[in-house]
Amino acid sequence: MESVEAVVAHIQGLSGSQEEVAHLHSLLKQSEDALRSQAARLGAFLHQLDPSVHSLGYLFLLEAYSSDPVCREQDGDFLLSILEFINSCSAEQIRLAPEKFISVCKSFKDKVMQLQVPIQGIVPLRTAIRKLQASSEQLTTLHSDYLLLCLLAKCYKAGLSILDDDIFEVDQPRDLFLYCYYGGMVNIGLKRYRKAWECLHNVITAPMATLNAIAVEAYKKYILVSIILNGQVPSFPKYTSSTAQRNLKSHTQPYIDLANCYATGTFSELEGCIQTNLEKFQADSNLGLVKQVLSSLYKGNIQRLTQTYLTLSLQDIANAAQLKTPREAEMHVLQMIQDGEIFATINQKDGMVSFHEDPEQYKTCGMIEHIDSSIQRLMALSKKLGSLDEHMSCDPAYLTRIGKERPRFDFDEFDSVPHKFL
Amino acid sequence: MDGGDEGVVVAPMGDESMCSNGGAVADPRRPPASSGKAAAGGGEQMDLEAYVALYAGRTRVSRLLFIAERCGNEGMQLEALRMAHDEIKKREDSHLYREVIAKIGGRLGPQYALDQTWVDMVDRRAEVRKEKLENELNAYKTNLIKESIRMGYNDLADFFYAHGQLGDAFKNYVRTRDYCTSSKHISQMCLNVILVSIELGQYMHVSNYVSKAEQAPEQLDPITHSKLRCAAGLAYLETKKYKLAARKFLETGPELGNNYTDVIAQQDVATYGGLCALASFDRTELKNKVIDNINFRNFLELVPEVRELINDFYASRYASCLEYLENLKPNLLLDIHLHDHVETLYTDIRHKAIIQYTHPFISVDLLTMAGAFKTSVAGLEKELEALITEDKIQARIDSHNKILYARHADQRNTTFQRVLQTGVEFERDARAMLLRANLIKQESILRAARKL
Amino acid sequence: MDLSPIQNAVASGSYATIADACDELMLQVASRGIAYQEDWPFTVHLLGHIFANDLNSARFLWKSIPQGFKESNPELVAAWRIGQCLWTRDYAGVYDAIRGFEWSPEVAGLVTAFSENYTKKMFQLLSSAYSTIGVADVAHFLGMSEDEATNYASQHGWTLDSSSKMLTVKKPKTITEQKLDPSKLQRLTEYVFHLEH
Repeated sequence: MESVEAVVAHIQGLSGSQEEVAHLHSLLKQSEDALRSQAARLGAFLHQLDPSVHSLGYLFLLEAYSSDPVCREQDGDFLLSILEFINSCSAEQIRLAPEKFISVCKSFKDKVMQLQVPIQGIVPLRTAIRKLQASSEQLTTLHSDYLLLCLLAKCYKAGLSILDDDIFEVDQPRDLFLYCYYGGMVNIGLKRYRKAWECLHNVITAPMATLNAIAVEAYKKYILVSIILNGQVPSFPKYTSSTAQRNLKSHTQPYIDLANCYATGTFSELEGCIQTNLEKFQADSNLGLVKQVLSSLYKGNIQRLTQTYLTLSLQDIANAAQLKTPREAEMHVLQMIQDGEIFATINQKDGMVSFHEDPEQYKTCGMIEHIDSSIQRLMALSKKLGSLDEHMSCDPAYLTRIGKERPRFDFDEFDSVPHKFL
Repeated sequence: MDGGDEGVVVAPMGDESMCSNGGAVADPRRPPASSGKAAAGGGEQMDLEAYVALYAGRTRVSRLLFIAERCGNEGMQLEALRMAHDEIKKREDSHLYREVIAKIGGRLGPQYALDQTWVDMVDRRAEVRKEKLENELNAYKTNLIKESIRMGYNDLADFFYAHGQLGDAFKNYVRTRDYCTSSKHISQMCLNVILVSIELGQYMHVSNYVSKAEQAPEQLDPITHSKLRCAAGLAYLETKKYKLAARKFLETGPELGNNYTDVIAQQDVATYGGLCALASFDRTELKNKVIDNINFRNFLELVPEVRELINDFYASRYASCLEYLENLKPNLLLDIHLHDHVETLYTDIRHKAIIQYTHPFISVDLLTMAGAFKTSVAGLEKELEALITEDKIQARIDSHNKILYARHADQRNTTFQRVLQTGVEFERDARAMLLRANLIKQESILRAARKL
Repeated sequence: MDLSPIQNAVASGSYATIADACDELMLQVASRGIAYQEDWPFTVHLLGHIFANDLNSARFLWKSIPQGFKESNPELVAAWRIGQCLWTRDYAGVYDAIRGFEWSPEVAGLVTAFSENYTKKMFQLLSSAYSTIGVADVAHFLGMSEDEATNYASQHGWTLDSSSKMLTVKKPKTITEQKLDPSKLQRLTEYVFHLEH
């Protein structure tokens, strides 16, 4: 067993070229137990290393050090030293030992949570994620921790910096569940319901062998967001795991009831349904969303009128949308105009509203830019799909698999959808 | 005012209001609105005598009892019960007799109180007869003569039917099936089962036995053929398949005549067929299969109002058409088969009319249109709103100026809209799919790793 | 703690950048474990969000501020009062909230800028949402007296029917760029190529 001093010497000597670092990596792996057993002493040695140069070695020491509960408790500079390491370490080196890096970051996260200063962890974790990722398409275990800190610190907007990336590569299914669930919550908080819907949709349609609590909670929010967006809850797409299709509904009865009430279009009935299940909604901390559902009923009713009428009196709108006075109807219409949800003009003199068609003529430069960028994105996506398809049809493991258990395995879905578009 | 007074009012009206089921109408081509005082009386009560005369057998009683239950007018109710009572007394169903007596509840005087002697006599006679029939049947069974056994079962079934034991009647008619030796027997058996099933309200059996009868290898005689069409029509009507029902009634041949009056009158064929067709056919079908249908014209001649309202509908004289319908409505609601479907059929016909009315126009004045449809502008707006929402009419309502404008969607814009929407959906689906693909890949790697 | 980026933004009147600058600086400062809250310019931060019309962030910021801090800082409460009115769409309440407080010199400029902006936006909303509207309502939505509102509106071409006290709205003309540059044609060729292969 090597002494810590020897390890430090190795680190100092072998942090130059790629070959050196690779060699160092194997040496460090052999000394892991030694480092762990002397964790308490490591604090002093860390000062002998430069985190930006000796990143890999520093990481091994830091990981051993930070996984020791005593060190964590007693070192006042614990958080600062990790912060400094995250800021200055070399991405190339730490990616050689990602599990060590993740472990260090997790200790950091646990500590800020324990101190109840989640905001302190936001910037460091953001940096850590970027260093750990080989590409922005990769989902790391740290993603969900980052979003959790954003939620706890009420810095929802900070969450967007990673949510706007497209994630395709996932190492741990559990990472995805949490990431999408928290992502859904961040988007809900910022009223980005369409994005929230996509996140939650990913949770409930992800392959799952057994039902998990995240999926159940996600489905509750999914129901509410679906209603707010479209006035109804879509049925499960066919690629949804049978576990989810069979079990989710029975675990979310109050929400299903709510959706059914909403479908009747009657305000009083919906309100009654909410009252009945108030405690459950509250316990799930979904009451805010539920209230949004309630007000979206007015909107839905008014929006329907725009499909039918060119002009309609405010009184009639009030009647149709179950609002008490024409003035209330006017305010709702005004709000919806403000939010771009309908196109209309109010004529106060006659107490009338004129509804218009969407004035978009698809002629402006801005619109052409928009269409153009969509086409670019779609082309990139279909290339990706194409290469995935190709890759899979050459993959020996996959081929033997579909040979053996074709009916059971759901790779089939890739045949139908992409070819339709490609 | 008590019931007695109203009862008096009913009687003298008889002569005038019999038209609804085929009586003579002075000038059927004249729209009822202009005819003012007389004939095609909607608010007026139907002539029960004339009505019942169209039918034979147990259905007379059933229909009278149905009317008594639904008419909501004590005078008419008592009249119907009185007639039902007289009808039952001619027959042998003591159970039904007691029922009617209970319903009358002494309101028609001592003449219509429970006649225990009659009941006892009927019951005694039934007992004897039943025993005799059963003994005969047993004897036939021991002798194993097929035709006799069939007759035995048939007689027993007839007996049960006459005494209102429909379940037993049904069973015994069905039993004759194993002893049928000719296709005539089969069709007879089927018609019997159908008759009982209709009274039982078992329309599944009705359609089953209609198709059994139609499977016969030999050509059915035209009367049987027409009867089966009617029965099938009733079964479809009951299951709300109006289009199919219409087809069946329209295919009914003139041979039906008065041969099926224990189930349906020719007038009913005209009414059921006509209304179902109006509610479910498009214009071409209406023209080809109803208006130009020579066979069916014979039926329609019996109910001129229905003939007229169909013609009005086709000629876009909606006000007149709807008025005929309105006038027919009270009587149709008392029809044992049609009553449940009147509202739906009427709504469908009305919607069809509204859609047809708006179709050729770029803009329609709602006031004029409301006049044509005998409704208020506000009511019409609601109806149009529903139809536009269901995308049955492509138009928008200018509620301010009370004008309906046809909506010609801008194809270029809709295409752009659709394209962008499809793009968004594809992008979303493709992303989700790539993600799931990677998840599955990862999982299978993990699983493979675990196996190693 | 160096607050100069925020101070500069406020001083130079680039109010639209305040929110983002505050957000980022707060995260940076917090990550170093500094007890920043005592000296943090919460009022400016909050008004920054309100100015950027990001009510969600304003609301979350408000929720994250410790209770004691709110109690000892009436200006912060007054700033949130504006946010609340916006949140509940109490259009006229916004003006009351602005006028109901004597703003300190540090934020007065920001509040005034917001107020002017808000009036402009409300006027735009009225222009697009109404064809005729009562003078009283215009005054209500713009936070002015009826005379001022009538004046303001007539400057933008609205006409007054003095008997009914109704203003007829003049819709502003929108000018949109419709020209295309040749590079788009090149793109189009590429798309067709993509579709065919």
